[in-house]
Amino acid sequence: MQMSVFALAALVKIAVVMGVVLLTVAFLTLAERKVLSWMQDRMGPMEVGPYGILQPIADGIKLFFKEDIVPAGANRFLFSLAPILSLVPALIGFAVVPYGPNYEIEVSGVRIKPFIITDVNIGILYILAFASIGAYGIILGGWASNNKYSLLGGLRAAAQVISYELNVGLAIISVLILSGSLSMVTIAEKQAGSMLNWNIIGMGHGNGIWWWFPVTQFVAFVVYVISSVAETNRLPFDLPEAESELVAGWMTEYSGMRFAFFFMSEYSNMILVSCIASVLFLGGYHAPYPGTILSGGWALAEGVFWFTVKVYAFLFLFFWLRATLPRLRYDQLMRFGWKVMLPLALGNIVVTSIVVYLLRI
Amino acid sequence: MPASQWVKTLIFYELLVGMKATITVFIDRIVLRKRKAVTLQYPHEKRDLPGTYRGMIALLKYDDDTEKCVGCDLCEAACPSRVITVISSEVAGEPMKRYAKEYYMDMTRCLFCGLCVQACPVDALAMTREYEWAKYNKRDLYLDKEQLLALGDRNFPVREKKLEFQHPNVAYFNIGYKNLPPKDS
Ligand code: SF4
Ligand code: SF4
Repeated sequence: MQMSVFALAALVKIAVVMGVVLLTVAFLTLAERKVLSWMQDRMGPMEVGPYGILQPIADGIKLFFKEDIVPAGANRFLFSLAPILSLVPALIGFAVVPYGPNYEIEVSGVRIKPFIITDVNIGILYILAFASIGAYGIILGGWASNNKYSLLGGLRAAAQVISYELNVGLAIISVLILSGSLSMVTIAEKQAGSMLNWNIIGMGHGNGIWWWFPVTQFVAFVVYVISSVAETNRLPFDLPEAESELVAGWMTEYSGMRFAFFFMSEYSNMILVSCIASVLFLGGYHAPYPGTILSGGWALAEGVFWFTVKVYAFLFLFFWLRATLPRLRYDQLMRFGWKVMLPLALGNIVVTSIVVYLLRI
Repeated sequence: MPASQWVKTLIFYELLVGMKATITVFIDRIVLRKRKAVTLQYPHEKRDLPGTYRGMIALLKYDDDTEKCVGCDLCEAACPSRVITVISSEVAGEPMKRYAKEYYMDMTRCLFCGLCVQACPVDALAMTREYEWAKYNKRDLYLDKEQLLALGDRNFPVREKKLEFQHPNVAYFNIGYKNLPPKDS
């Protein structure tokens, strides 16, 4: 009985999160086109539905009915595996993200946390591990297509993901030093208080009179944001796709639903990366002011609201970057990753460790 | 490098300038509503054409429903892309007078330069303001005389009045060649 209640609750939570994520993915494609067009004095999609809001549905139906082509000479098995291999890891990461306060209810003797699917104690490592599996989808897709552009795109993706995964990992370490835990839930809880306690400002880590000393993680935040843009293959780091050089990079030979899978994985990766950034650096579900304005059940809703606001702000930042910046050249990308981001992240770890040690004496 | 350059590099100054430009446009458009899209929803709204717009080419007629074209072939000679084919022929029974028995325009090749219109000695050609001529079949753009005359009728409802040439030396341009005014003295 208890087992089945537990399983049912988990399934319901997973269904809700999947539903919300996939719906967001669908409408992100529209939001991106709209935001880009507004920044470029255009209109964006206007035909399907009022102001084009039904465009994602039309796109979905179109992709669903497209002919599914496997190019001659392609490796059939890997060609079919690659889209799944890139979508599944992108969706799996949402399992450990705290969407709201760490609050428990009891349903027939089982304690259920409604806003957290599961609290794995190595949550952030789990996400990083699966994020790098997603890169295999791109590399295999590029190789299995039997197309020179796809292969080049796949190789670029491999090099880029390795370079920038490293920086993401190193940027996160200083946050782990501050919160002393790998669990996403604990990291979010440690930033309770107000905006000043968020890791990006980082007050409240000192003892005694040094409580106010900010162990700011701003550098880590910037490194994380830039590296995560690179990791999700978004402009200005979309070298694996690079329409103007590589046709469509690793996606060149894909059509129909397989292409849609790659597309969905790109957008769900964006959402995942935004969720992680808001949990690690911007206090997750905590409001910028101390405590909550509303009370009781509404306080929980307030937490979810703030989390959503932060995630959408990040997604807007992705669009904003895309509207502004041109693509980097390949050597610039590599140089920037290894010679600028990596030393910054390493230096940040050293400085943070020393400051935290001194503050906690 | 001066110190200010270092600071600019460190804070990604150029990137921030660019980001500011795009967000300014965004805010002006969405929040302040000062800007409008420069694009049009094409099939629903159409751009105003300039007065000198050069669209599809048409053959014209005189007000008495006779064709203006005298089959001189000058348009064919003037056309840089060899769009025009004129098969010229005598008017039966009037050996001095010619007309275009067949007249073809391959509009797939036309670059709308207007040289044919300039070349025509009797102003039989004109450029209309039509442009929505997308076709599923390329051969639909190979226009014959009827289609070109229809284009002319559609776009130029007011026809030019046909002059009767009085001077004996040019009077053979008249349709009524047989009714030439007598050459006196
Ligand atoms: S507009 Fe130019 S290209 Fe077109 S038919 Fe006339 S002369 Fe030829
Ligand atoms: S359209 Fe004008 S230039 Fe061309 S054949 Fe006729 S009269 Fe001559």
